[in-house]
Amino acid sequence: MADTREDILARLHAILATIPNIRSAQRNNGDITEDQLPAAVLFDGDEDTDDASDFSMRPPHRPTMVSMTPEIVLAQQSNEAGSDLTTLRRELLKRVLTDTALNETIVKTGRNGNGAIRYLGCQTDFGDGRSLTGSLLARFMFKYTLKPDDL
Amino acid sequence: MPDAFGAPLYGPVYAGIGVPATFNAVAITVIDDTRPVTNPAGSGEVRSVGPGAFARIPELAANGIARDAYIDATLIFNGRTWTVRSYELRGNPNGEDAGEVRFLLKAADVG
Repeated sequence: MADTREDILARLHAILATIPNIRSAQRNNGDITEDQLPAAVLFDGDEDTDDASDFSMRPPHRPTMVSMTPEIVLAQQSNEAGSDLTTLRRELLKRVLTDTALNETIVKTGRNGNGAIRYLGCQTDFGDGRSLTGSLLARFMFKYTLKPDDL
Repeated sequence: MPDAFGAPLYGPVYAGIGVPATFNAVAITVIDDTRPVTNPAGSGEVRSVGPGAFARIPELAANGIARDAYIDATLIFNGRTWTVRSYELRGNPNGEDAGEVRFLLKAADVG
């Protein structure tokens, strides 16, 4: 039994906890209080296949390619929330895009297989609390092979 | 129009629930108006505190505090020290100079 989607999300969650200065690394918890900041939250996100246009005779349980798009929110509260988030973003990208377990064992990018990890971009939000509160939502795309026989 | 808000209304209210404060080292009375705030954080939310305080503009003026001194002033009350990041004027029927100002505050230790 192997579920690549869950393996990717679990590994992402573990990576978030290794970002320097992060006080709280959570998964799918969208209700953060200020004393948990700086926080990193993983949202599982969606996934898609290209199979909607596949009308071949391929049996439904044969492998197919899936693109999943989890979201990661970094939140911080300080007088320098913007530059703090820039630093957290740098550490996040570095860790996700170069993680050996994620690339070689789970997603199987490059010579290990036909998976892929892509950074799609980020969006920011800022607001006022007792000091400036800011967040950055980073989006990634993971392409992996879904093998129904292995589920 | 007679002063219907200064002594008759603000006076008892500030005497009852006002707290002593210092505004750039000048002693005044404010009403603590700290509120919860929720800020968007991508797909989630961050719950925080939005500190604020009401003060009477005539009292500020009587102490020599003009409006252009509001921003970045240091306001100390209820055991915490804040910086005024912005303010809202709350005029009354006697005019904005006879009303209140709500200071929007920032920058104190979290927790």
